[in-house]
Amino acid sequence: MSISNWIRIILTAIAGIALGLVYGWVIDPVEYVDVTPNILHADFRADYVMMVAEAHQSEKDLETSAKRLAMLGSESPAQIVTSTLDYAKKNNFTQNEIDLLQELLTAMQTYQPQEAAEP
Amino acid sequence: MKMIHLLLALLLGLGLGLGYSWMISPVTYVDASPDILRADFKDQYRSVIAASYASTHDLGRTRARLELLGDTNPGGELNAQAQRMVAAGESPEAIQPITQLAQDLQQGFASIPVTSTFTAIIATSSPTNTPNAVASVTTAPTKIPLATATPVTQDATAESSTTDTPTPAPTTSFAQTALIPLASSTFAPRPTFTAMPPPGKPFELIDQETVCEPAAQPGLMKFILTDKRRKQIPGIEIIVTWDEGEDHFFTGFKPELGNGYADFVMQADIMYSIRVVEGGASIPNISAPNCKDSNGVEYIGGWLLTFQQP
Repeated sequence: MSISNWIRIILTAIAGIALGLVYGWVIDPVEYVDVTPNILHADFRADYVMMVAEAHQSEKDLETSAKRLAMLGSESPAQIVTSTLDYAKKNNFTQNEIDLLQELLTAMQTYQPQEAAEP
Repeated sequence: MKMIHLLLALLLGLGLGLGYSWMISPVTYVDASPDILRADFKDQYRSVIAASYASTHDLGRTRARLELLGDTNPGGELNAQAQRMVAAGESPEAIQPITQLAQDLQQGFASIPVTSTFTAIIATSSPTNTPNAVASVTTAPTKIPLATATPVTQDATAESSTTDTPTPAPTTSFAQTALIPLASSTFAPRPTFTAMPPPGKPFELIDQETVCEPAAQPGLMKFILTDKRRKQIPGIEIIVTWDEGEDHFFTGFKPELGNGYADFVMQADIMYSIRVVEGGASIPNISAPNCKDSNGVEYIGGWLLTFQQP
């Protein structure tokens, strides 16, 4: 087989790879179901933390609020609320919402997990 | 050069491309929406929505948040989740906001509970006397229609909620971190609670029908509780007592049969007394009726009791 034929074969294979990539990434990409909350869009994360703050306002239960926040990932509850507070300030949340987040942040900064509190 | 060589090269390339894009480096999400969350995380998300609603009583915004989960019937999903939580033995404090939200979604306006009372299930029944609907939470709601509770604010809030949560587009390149599993409840069990009389008029028994259906469960006592407009009401406590014990259960835990539906399985030759919430209707001396099928063979029938608020 001549070199030109090999080049044709390689070019055809490359075209096939390109087609496969387009199909697998664009036309029929892997669909995700059953995902974990740590990949939620920032808007949804912020709204989730906002809900925790709203619930915390009446419940005042540090343990419950911390566990709810833990759903969003392995960061500490205070870090999660801090980043949400930054997001809220940048995205024109209402002052009332920012106050609620601030209250939750203050609570989470004083929160000590039960295991850590025990000697 | 034969065309077969080119075709084989194309197929080989295609296979390599698909293998890479589907298995080695598939599209990954970094900006997911709540509707593709795993079922247990959706439950957790719903619980937080309900807890938030219990604090804010903002039904419009809560509806918008529930829509993010992509449930076709948010109220039904909440009821189903409450059932799962009851079955899992979770605390009444954790379940109550969910049933409250489901009820408010159904009636279309916010109920602000004046007091929430939690009633422990009294486990003195014999093993065969098991109610089909078992829950352990009730509330004493005061109905405040949104029409009289600043509807403009409600609408504005709901609108801002929907506009604040745009649907994200999936993007590539993402590194996933492990999640910490959540504990389902943090409340200590409470062995005894004092039931408080709820506000509103007591229920009255308006209809009592014998149910003779050979295919039905023997001794099944069905309850349907409605308000004065005949709209079924969930979350109403029913107490059934007999010589050897007592059971408490609530309407609305079988939403597929109606939000005001509950049932209880009677045993033959046992007299039961029924009471619907504190101060409500009390029906003494109820026992499973005897029915006859087309061949004259006797079997245990059931009752359909309909209660209504006057």
